[in-house]
Amino acid sequence: MTSQDARTTLEMPTEKPPAEDNAVPTTNGWRPSLLRLTERFGLVMLLLGVAIYFALDPATSATFPTVSNLRNIVANESVLILVALAALIPLVAHRFDLSVGAIVALTSIAAAKATTSMELPILVGVVIAVTIGALVGLANGILTAYFRANSLVITLGMATLLGGVASAWSGHQTIVGVPVTLTNFGNGLWFGVPRPVYLVIVAALAVSFLLGLTIFGRRLLSVGVNETAAHLVGLPVQRTVALAFVASGALAGLAGALLLARTGSAASGVGVGYLLPALAAIFLGSTTIRPGRYTVAGTLVGVFFVAISINGLTLAGAADWVEPAFNGGAVIVAVAVSSLLTHRRLTGASR
Amino acid sequence: MVDATSGRRASALALARLSKTFPGTRALADVSLSVAPGHFHALVGGNGSGKSTLIKILAGVYSADRGGSLHLGDESFDVEQLTPRWSREAGIRFVHQDLGLFPELTVTENVLAGSPFPRRRGGIDWSEARRSVQRLLDALEIPVHARSLVRDLRPADQTLIAVARCLRDRDSCGVGLLVLDEPTTRLPADEVDGLLQRLSAYSSRGQSILYVTHRLDEVLSYADTVTVLRDGRHVDTRPAAQHDRESLVAHIAGHAPAKRQRRPRTSFGPAVLSVEGLRGGPLENVTFDIRAGEVVALAGLVGSGRTSVMQNVMGAVKPRGGSVSVSGRRLRSGHVAEAISRGLAIVPEERARDGAFLSLSVTENLSASTIGRYRRGGWLRRTDERRDAERDIDTYGIKGTADAPIARLSGGNQQKAVMARAMRSAPVVLLLDEPTQGVDVGARADIHARIDAAVAGGAGVLLATSDLDELLHLADRVLVLADGRITSEASGPDITRTWIFDNVYQHEKEAST
Repeated sequence: MTSQDARTTLEMPTEKPPAEDNAVPTTNGWRPSLLRLTERFGLVMLLLGVAIYFALDPATSATFPTVSNLRNIVANESVLILVALAALIPLVAHRFDLSVGAIVALTSIAAAKATTSMELPILVGVVIAVTIGALVGLANGILTAYFRANSLVITLGMATLLGGVASAWSGHQTIVGVPVTLTNFGNGLWFGVPRPVYLVIVAALAVSFLLGLTIFGRRLLSVGVNETAAHLVGLPVQRTVALAFVASGALAGLAGALLLARTGSAASGVGVGYLLPALAAIFLGSTTIRPGRYTVAGTLVGVFFVAISINGLTLAGAADWVEPAFNGGAVIVAVAVSSLLTHRRLTGASR
Repeated sequence: MVDATSGRRASALALARLSKTFPGTRALADVSLSVAPGHFHALVGGNGSGKSTLIKILAGVYSADRGGSLHLGDESFDVEQLTPRWSREAGIRFVHQDLGLFPELTVTENVLAGSPFPRRRGGIDWSEARRSVQRLLDALEIPVHARSLVRDLRPADQTLIAVARCLRDRDSCGVGLLVLDEPTTRLPADEVDGLLQRLSAYSSRGQSILYVTHRLDEVLSYADTVTVLRDGRHVDTRPAAQHDRESLVAHIAGHAPAKRQRRPRTSFGPAVLSVEGLRGGPLENVTFDIRAGEVVALAGLVGSGRTSVMQNVMGAVKPRGGSVSVSGRRLRSGHVAEAISRGLAIVPEERARDGAFLSLSVTENLSASTIGRYRRGGWLRRTDERRDAERDIDTYGIKGTADAPIARLSGGNQQKAVMARAMRSAPVVLLLDEPTQGVDVGARADIHARIDAAVAGGAGVLLATSDLDELLHLADRVLVLADGRITSEASGPDITRTWIFDNVYQHEKEAST
């Protein structure tokens, strides 16, 4: 304890600390670059390895590498990808949005109500879902940005609150009778590819551009890396954080509408289960492509790594406990590995 | 284990020819020092004199260079192999400026923190714990109840609790060496005497004390012996009785004429920054102007509020009152973005904490405050951004590539990048808070050249630095900050080491009488 004190307080006095010239830039020899390549594409190669394994393994070679199974995987993951993209945006600014799953549940009920009992056009139903999502995000954003509340606690509370609202609104009933046009979109094909995939591609490109090629995206990143410095260089920290939650909520609302299109029904408990797999995918993704950053490409790799592994294991006859165990394990391993890698990258050495 | 042995010892602590070299700087050079048993030994010196480095070596935070020797009592130690654990086992105890107390806990809990509590039947024996702490407090004549909460105590008594924690291992005075590192910086003047009387009493009962301070009057009144360091070297050791204030200041400041390498400037433009009646944090009423082409330095003791001035002017914190104007137009308080758009820019004190985006690339760091410039129809023009980054890397001599995370650069190169970022918006007023802290000699010269260039271009600079040489080299005018006010001012050739020491410490003298 005392020696700990010594360390922290001794760093305060005003004399010159040692010049920090020991952080030598890495050389461009083949060893570091090979290591870096392994780090960057490790998960991608693991994904390919898993896919090849299930394609060749006699237990799954008849069912896994088939067009219908692959269609099944991408269509099934479409909702999850939208949820993960939603959670990704505030995470870049170092804020958790744990309410994305609950927003999916609430907005799928909203869209179902709008298109069934209210008999509104499908497009209006989708707009309602997105708007409700955005409004919930706005509430999250105002509370975390302007009240400076902890995002974990606020969005966890919001998720629980929305769960209650969703139960009350649906009256504990599963809402059915959704227009066929909507369910056709969720389950049909265009040019041999499940229709939701087109929506996912558009959303992924949009978020990718938002993060990488807009001023807003750079602000998000700056706030996420060092909020004090962001404040001192004049970035609108609070507005940026609030808008991140609005974008997150809107995208989760879109995911709610897509969930309705996929399943043709809405019930209060359904969306919540997307939260953890979404976080698992994002954290897995942060270990790859651009290690240490939350990226769209990494998140997609993360989603499909988990999805293909679980799909293959299920086809091979694994029990249904595999899915939660795999998702939970993926979060833990991904966060541990990426924390370690980030530390090593920043200090430039292994400590 | 080297505990206080009862036999006669020549000295409690003896250092000989101790040096410490960091890349680019020699923080300590051939320093010899010996603390006699039972002596109250004061260690004084300006910023950068090597006091902190010496204390960190004693604390085992740094090892010293090969060649010196270190004795505690009769035992000698390898100066290249020092660790915090070594320091503790050797019987050295520290009270730092930050006392490391837990204000919400009781005196008993604070004193015993970090040591085994007395136990009974598997639980803590609280009554025995309280009794033992009360015995210790009584022995040390600290007029405090073991049950009190530390936050309810007067500041001087809190300091004594930190002392008691150091001394608990021997009920009375007997740890090998008690080191106090500027314990009075945050104390009100009227409590300082009580604390020092108590410490002086411990030393007359046999406790060896090494006492680091900025306040010369307490040295003259209470210390037995005074050692002065300057520029990492030992200057003088003699009994305090042979010193008076003038001789002490002369030793600390040195007789070397202040070398102003730069041609003094005499003509300045109109005021670019006007601060009036600024209040906030420790600042009570701060008023000053900076003219175009002028470097104004803020001098003051640790905790005098130099950083607060910067933060309030920049709008990073909202002041309680007063106004800040740039080129005659008043700024809304608490709006950093507006301050920047009006021509303010800051290089903050703690680079890693407040300045750099460590995991972002050099490019991204450079354009953080001017990112809006690369907007083209809602998109970010990354090729333009990259081109400007390459240009800055070249102009500022930043050794590193545009795409590397800035954390991979050396401290000096990181600081050059932060400086380059501040200069991106062509600021009218540049706020520099310890701009060369933790930077090697080469980078320091580069940064000074950039400051000179900015000033030559008509910018005004507010500089806070603990580095006296830097201050003497750069400043056209010096303001001394104490108790939240500007207490004195000097300009041009009047700025000397002696003037600064006299005025920074003079105020202390007035406050304590």
